[in-house]
Amino acid sequence: MLAPLVMALALTPDALCAQRIDSIPPWRVAVRTVAIDERLAVDAGLRVGDMVVLAAEPGRASGDTVRISAIVRRRADPSEVARSEYRIRMHLGGLQDLIGYGDRVDRYAIATAGGVAADSALRRINALAFGFHAYPSREIAVETSKTFVVVSRFHRAIGMITIVASATFLLCIMLLKVDERRRDVAAMRLMGISRATVVRAVMLESSFVALLGSLFGVGLGFVVSAFVNAHYQGVYRTPLRFAIITPGTVTYSVLLSLVLGIGAGALAARRLSRTPPLTLFGR
Amino acid sequence: MRFQLAALSLRRHASRTLLAVLGVAVSAAMLLDMVMLATGMRQSFASLLGRNGFTIRVSPRGTLPFDTEAMIGQAHQATDAIRRIAGVTAVAPVLGTTIHVLGGRGPATAFALGVDPAVQGDYQLLEGQNPAANALVASDALLRATGARMGDTLDVAVGFDPQLRTFTGRRRVIVAGRARFTYLSADDRAAALPLASVQAMGGAGRSDRVSLFMVRTAPNVDPEATRVAIERVLPRVTALSTAGAIAEAERRLSYFRQLAFILGAVSLIVGFLLVTTIVTVSVNERIGEIAIMRAIGVSRIHVVHQIVIEGVGLSLAGAAAGLLLGVFTARWLNSILRGFPGLPDAIDFFLFQPNSAFRALALLVASGIAAGIYPAWRAASLPISATLREEAVG
Repeated sequence: MLAPLVMALALTPDALCAQRIDSIPPWRVAVRTVAIDERLAVDAGLRVGDMVVLAAEPGRASGDTVRISAIVRRRADPSEVARSEYRIRMHLGGLQDLIGYGDRVDRYAIATAGGVAADSALRRINALAFGFHAYPSREIAVETSKTFVVVSRFHRAIGMITIVASATFLLCIMLLKVDERRRDVAAMRLMGISRATVVRAVMLESSFVALLGSLFGVGLGFVVSAFVNAHYQGVYRTPLRFAIITPGTVTYSVLLSLVLGIGAGALAARRLSRTPPLTLFGR
Repeated sequence: MRFQLAALSLRRHASRTLLAVLGVAVSAAMLLDMVMLATGMRQSFASLLGRNGFTIRVSPRGTLPFDTEAMIGQAHQATDAIRRIAGVTAVAPVLGTTIHVLGGRGPATAFALGVDPAVQGDYQLLEGQNPAANALVASDALLRATGARMGDTLDVAVGFDPQLRTFTGRRRVIVAGRARFTYLSADDRAAALPLASVQAMGGAGRSDRVSLFMVRTAPNVDPEATRVAIERVLPRVTALSTAGAIAEAERRLSYFRQLAFILGAVSLIVGFLLVTTIVTVSVNERIGEIAIMRAIGVSRIHVVHQIVIEGVGLSLAGAAAGLLLGVFTARWLNSILRGFPGLPDAIDFFLFQPNSAFRALALLVASGIAAGIYPAWRAASLPISATLREEAVG
């Protein structure tokens, strides 16, 4: 008897929206069969071929004895990430019988040729079927992804604060780094090297430091994102990737770091080059 | 004297000091926000669940309240069984369903709760009275959607039969009150009716069934012991104490807690590194000055104190600015997360708790002290004559 309450989805076998990872050949199937979640299989110690009894309610004496014909792995779906319930995929009729649902379904998913065909199918269904409402998939996607829109806005806000913090830190470090070169700058100026050359040299150095730092940061980012993915994939038992580093992210962060580094270098270099060399020497 | 020298030293490089304070302020603000995020959710959720004194929620076995459409059968029997458990002072049965309010504007769909008005803990009445038979209390959002007002009669149904093309479980009910629903957001269309009405409207499928029980225990009773007793008496249910519910919510929202921990730790490290760098550079620039102070008899500990005070000064100024910045940004971030669909009004993700906030800022100031100690000790330990000679020769 299954101890945990199971949320069942009625689907035809062809429509299983999860990856099959183990199954028995159809000719060996005699009794009614179900496919179960990989996490249910692990937690309940179930294997393909095991017989289980499904009941609509916990503790109900009567139930439906079925054979596990497949173990499926969920696809990476963000909307399910925090949900920990188990899932069983059954034949539609089996589930209707089990829960006494009669000849009813909750919803239909309809495949169309797309584009105009989808729009016209939508119009015809809504015109014909009193009591039903057909929605385009994109509308449902917008409705169900509101949570992720909020999370995404939150991440952007946190990102902005992090950028301000790191920019301030970078500016501080670059100013100090250039300030440390005051004696070198003084010596260069006393040797007759022009202010412009001094500024360019300092800026070149600061941009080199910024570039090196950002490259190191990119490497660190890859390591951290790998750790984050491994950690949260384990916590939520999902193949979903939580942190993705895109070429856009890398370009943005390297450019930001370069702009800040060069800006800070230019600022400090201009200040140093305008200070008399002997003052820079502390005389 | 030490404070004066430290202040003069910081003022000598005003722009650098300002930038460092700004950096520490942003780090402090981030740290504060993350502390508020880590503790706020828990506090806010605990306060929401603790309202009305219900300490235990009982739902169908293996489920959380309203997580699935599963129901508890033989509700009367279950209610009596729970009432008989020592320490239980009240049992509030709740049945959730979807209703369609029919009318001129077309059917408006809403979430309806069947409750026992005498012991319910799901809503606060804002106007009118609790629902009697053939009456309901509605949220403002539902009243807006239907255009109904107090005293109006609504045509309500709980289902639709597509074969007969008729609404099922239809009943005419009077709007007896306006209410704020504790566990729903202000935008949710919601109504509460007497439990018997909702069960009757639902037909055989909802007869003598409930979605959950909310259980109130006596103040001197351990809710955990009562929870165990309920599960023993009713093996087909899962009983969840407030502490258990908070733990479950924390598990589901662990992402935010861990994010808060990681970003908080990074903020602390950034603040520490910033102060360390500033103080180290400042000390390196003043090696000669420090050697002279030591040569004229200023004690090593005096030098260390002065430099540490500089670090503390930077951290304190940054922490003070960070406190203001943190409260401001927390409000902003909270307003973003409050956009989660269906989030109860009472839930806040960022909650300012003075104790936690000041502890976090104290940690930042402590890291400022730690940041100043090493460069200070190194400077104070330099050989005086060699340093003076090097500085003089340049």
